[in-house]
Amino acid sequence: MTSLAMQRRKATAIRVWTQFRSSRQGMIGLAVLALFVLLALAAPLLADARELNPVFARSQGNPQWGTPGDFGPLGTDHIRRSVWAQFVWGSRVSLFVGLAATVLTIFIGSVIGIVSGFVGGKTDGVLMRITEWFLVIPFLPLAIVLASVLGRSVWNIIFVIGITSWPSTARLVRAQVLTVKQRLFVDRARSLGANGSHIVLHHILPNVSGLILANATLAVPISILTETTLAFLGLGDPSSASWGKTLEEAFVNGAIVRNAWWYFLPAGIGILAVVLAFTLIGRTLEEIANPRLSRQR
Amino acid sequence: MRRVITALALALLVSVVFTPAVVAQDDAAPVTLRIGLTQDWETLNPTVGFAVSEYEIWNVHYATLTDKAADDFATIPGLAESWEESDGGLTYTYTLREGLMWSDGEPLTAEDVAWNINTARDQEWDNMISTVVNIEATVIDDRTVQLTSSVPDPKLPTMDVYLVPPHIWEPIATDYDSTTQYDALDGVGSGPFVISDFAKGQSVTMVANPNYWGWEGEEPPYDQIIFQLFENPDAMVAALQQSQLDAIHGFPAGSADALEADPDIEVIAGQQGGFDEIAINGGAVEGQPHPALLDVNVRRAISYAVDKEAVIEDLWFGLASPLETMSPGADTKWIPDISGDAAFTYDPERARQILDDAGYLDSDGDGVREMPDGSNPIVLRHAVNTDGDLAGPIGDLFKGWMEDIGIGVELESYDQDALFGVIVDGTYDTFFWGWVPFVDPDPMLSYFTEAELGNYNDANWFDPRFDELYLEQKEELDPDRRLEIVHEMLTILHDAAVYIPMYLGPDLQAYRTDTFEGWVRQPAEIGPVMFSNSSPSYAQLRPIGAGGGDGGGVNWLLIGGIVVVVAAGGAVLLSRRRSTADERE
Repeated sequence: MTSLAMQRRKATAIRVWTQFRSSRQGMIGLAVLALFVLLALAAPLLADARELNPVFARSQGNPQWGTPGDFGPLGTDHIRRSVWAQFVWGSRVSLFVGLAATVLTIFIGSVIGIVSGFVGGKTDGVLMRITEWFLVIPFLPLAIVLASVLGRSVWNIIFVIGITSWPSTARLVRAQVLTVKQRLFVDRARSLGANGSHIVLHHILPNVSGLILANATLAVPISILTETTLAFLGLGDPSSASWGKTLEEAFVNGAIVRNAWWYFLPAGIGILAVVLAFTLIGRTLEEIANPRLSRQR
Repeated sequence: MRRVITALALALLVSVVFTPAVVAQDDAAPVTLRIGLTQDWETLNPTVGFAVSEYEIWNVHYATLTDKAADDFATIPGLAESWEESDGGLTYTYTLREGLMWSDGEPLTAEDVAWNINTARDQEWDNMISTVVNIEATVIDDRTVQLTSSVPDPKLPTMDVYLVPPHIWEPIATDYDSTTQYDALDGVGSGPFVISDFAKGQSVTMVANPNYWGWEGEEPPYDQIIFQLFENPDAMVAALQQSQLDAIHGFPAGSADALEADPDIEVIAGQQGGFDEIAINGGAVEGQPHPALLDVNVRRAISYAVDKEAVIEDLWFGLASPLETMSPGADTKWIPDISGDAAFTYDPERARQILDDAGYLDSDGDGVREMPDGSNPIVLRHAVNTDGDLAGPIGDLFKGWMEDIGIGVELESYDQDALFGVIVDGTYDTFFWGWVPFVDPDPMLSYFTEAELGNYNDANWFDPRFDELYLEQKEELDPDRRLEIVHEMLTILHDAAVYIPMYLGPDLQAYRTDTFEGWVRQPAEIGPVMFSNSSPSYAQLRPIGAGGGDGGGVNWLLIGGIVVVVAAGGAVLLSRRRSTADERE
């Protein structure tokens, strides 16, 4: 890569950051997200993982259905486990599943979108028909069926989310590739003898990466919500304490009838906050990558 | 597109939250008894089903040759009005009531009874075989049937197998496979109500059978029964409180106080010998467990590490009582007294000691023990039944108990149907489930014999001595001696530590006192009012005037809904945003 290109990219990064910093919604999102990432990373410092074990919890004399007043800071559940520990450790699972599933979604979507848009012709037709086929399959039933067939582990959940939510990314990327492909510099590179993979890697990809990044940020909350939904429906990994699983357990074990709000509210608010944070960041990035969106408003 | 998807997701979530709404009946509608339950039906074919929910339907749909008294399960006339013993107890001659008819108007004859018993024996129908295996039925005349047992049978004259209508079944039931694969939704029965509609995962509707002998020529007292399945037990409790149901079965122990506080609701903790257990894969046939489980020392260590008191206290709020070995019959006299040092009383220290002594050490220091040769860390696959209300918390507790003694646990979730398959295939190490036994201990005992491996033997274990004693008790006419034999069998099962019964759990039921009257407990005073051995309530119930409540109370559904809507709100916002971006691109 030439130093000229490097410089240009560095300049772009600085420009994006400057624009991002001037967006209040983007900065709020970033701050909230940073808080939760910190929470997830510092989990071992904030809560004893043994508090997730009901046998340990009982041996410590934790109360059953303890309110935040009885047992700090967030009370206990039906089998005496600390809700705070579940919240802190659950943030790890929820964020991890959300991010990992997004990587998979974006990878599949981008590859298909770029190949489809760049190669065109029959390949484009075939790939887009496959994409449309995935688009018209009702998403949640497919995810539920896949999750029950594959078995309930964190990796399967990630796989299920990835395999069911890539089509919109693929269409978006393809559209962008189609416009970039018509630009003069692509023709120029081609006439200089560049082959397809060179053009894709050095000319197309850099020009759609902004869009991919914005799209990825917006795909994370969907992944997190999907994980929550699947876990809530009892299709999550029974061994890992995600926020969705906390909600499911609270619901199944009667927290709502008991008005044990401390059991389900933290996880619910956690999901809401993280989803909102990613959405705000994603919208901001999208506006930067695609200025027409902000101008039209 | 996304918006549609999100809307769909929302709809699904909300439909789960607002589990089946039962529409309140109006005056013009048929008089309906509405029962809530939380256990789904796999099949309504009485030859092969196994769930308590299924037995309840058969108890109502099929009359039996002899009936069971509500008070004490004594054998009383059913389709047979009388019987005579001859041949030193080997032969019984039953006389059927006059004018018996199936619900479709076909006559119910001695021929029908004999066909059922002989065919069930010849084709080895799973749920009948242990009762009829030695019996030959002979038709004397239209109203007289003779049963002859080839060996002394302590259960006779009781003959309580469900009798299916041969005029429907005979063409279908040509062999074991075709019989057991039949959906049995023909709706023809001989009990007080017969199946009219079955929606798996939702409900079973049964309509009054005008030909039921027990009505004694009078109009049936009410028109139909709807069994309504609830995914969420709290939703079921709320539906009873709001008069959308007349009775519920299997509510969470934690709701007992709230229900008792309602003056129009009667709460029942019915004892009928039901228990829950943690079963260990004994590895007798295919589908091998972790090799450590083949060592009885490991299984005993696991038994010592299971804290039954914690479960009774935290999950049953003291309503269940501890149990040391399996309960095979409705009467707790069948359970041997195993106490003192013979009992597996919670003692994790002792469990660790047993594992240490047997050479299962944590040689690599990762907190999980390995086999004595240092290989193969002991990590158990514990199957969680997602249709069982306690299976989730018990799974978490089991994991905790095992980690406490250096054994790892991987939780694997299955719904009830899938779990049954997993048990038959033996692809598990442990699971938690429960049984409600029959009156006679014979069927439950038969499940732990070699012959039931790969079918109802959910310990995947057998012992030749146990099998020998099983055959012995089956022919023992002296009740005291038979009791002794059964006690010895259950002690063998206990000492093999392959089946860890946790507690005798009552059936928690509640019914409204302002809609129907005449609920019958079976057995008297301590038993449940529904889902019992012969479920006598349904034929005894009478509607009280015009029912219906105010439907007031705390609307927790709304609260639950708000949580879901709030959590999904971000998604809607986001999806709207995304769809416009798609269009503009």
